[in-house]
Amino acid sequence: MDIKYINPFIIAAQTVFKTMLGISAEMGKPALKNINRTSGDVTGIMGLVGDKKGTVAISLREAGARFVYKTLVGEECDSINQDVVDAIGEITNIISGQARKEFEKSGINLNAAIPMVIVGKEVEMNFITKIPIISLPFYFPLNNDNSKEKEVIYIDFSFE
Amino acid sequence: MNVLVVDDFATMRKIIKNVLKQIGIESVVEAENGKMALDVLKKESIDLIISDWIMPEMTGIDFLKACKSDETIKNIPFLMVTAEAQKGCIMEAIKSGVDNYIVKPFTPDKLQSAIEKAKAKIGK
Repeated sequence: MDIKYINPFIIAAQTVFKTMLGISAEMGKPALKNINRTSGDVTGIMGLVGDKKGTVAISLREAGARFVYKTLVGEECDSINQDVVDAIGEITNIISGQARKEFEKSGINLNAAIPMVIVGKEVEMNFITKIPIISLPFYFPLNNDNSKEKEVIYIDFSFE
Repeated sequence: MNVLVVDDFATMRKIIKNVLKQIGIESVVEAENGKMALDVLKKESIDLIISDWIMPEMTGIDFLKACKSDETIKNIPFLMVTAEAQKGCIMEAIKSGVDNYIVKPFTPDKLQSAIEKAKAKIGK
């Protein structure tokens, strides 16, 4: 996959994490996923169509998903409920919007859709594209205290 | 001041309500899409509309066009808060009569500033 298709997702993710969640997430090593399964416990998925086609999935473990909800709304949540699912859907929507803005700078116009959210580990997903899925892990401390224990947000996408 | 917040995501409606509360606006009516919002406008007196773009049933841009073509509600300030950051979308919203356009992600300050401008516009 051309690097010009990867950078928009990196820029979008880091912009959204910083602005909406107040975190400077550290990007880990990108990996190729050979199986079409969700990376975390809650996963927002959005198809991208237009000049190109692809899919982006934003996936978090339970603790990370609850952190996102708490940070966005200011309310505690002790399990993955409808509110948390809704918050992950919205984050997926915003990251997708930012990525599409970045693609536009390269002359690639993409259309939006309404995201769907899957709850569950290793749930099979359809990425529509035939090329491998790239998984970008972004690490962040749950309590903004620079502790060694970090949560991860996976941005998985395939784009052609 | 009575504000209509239109977004299919409850999380975003809560975020916007929190920002409104910080600037002393507690009277908020919610709707999940443009169609539901038009129903609200028939029943309630609204001073400011804050709407998303991508929503099921009726999108924010269709809702904006419906508002601006209705003599009884066209003067209500319409603030679009959306993830649609592409130039074509912004231009379409401007042509359709949007009063202000904020791209998600936004800081509370940015939304607060846009709401304050809208409040000043309607003298509240």
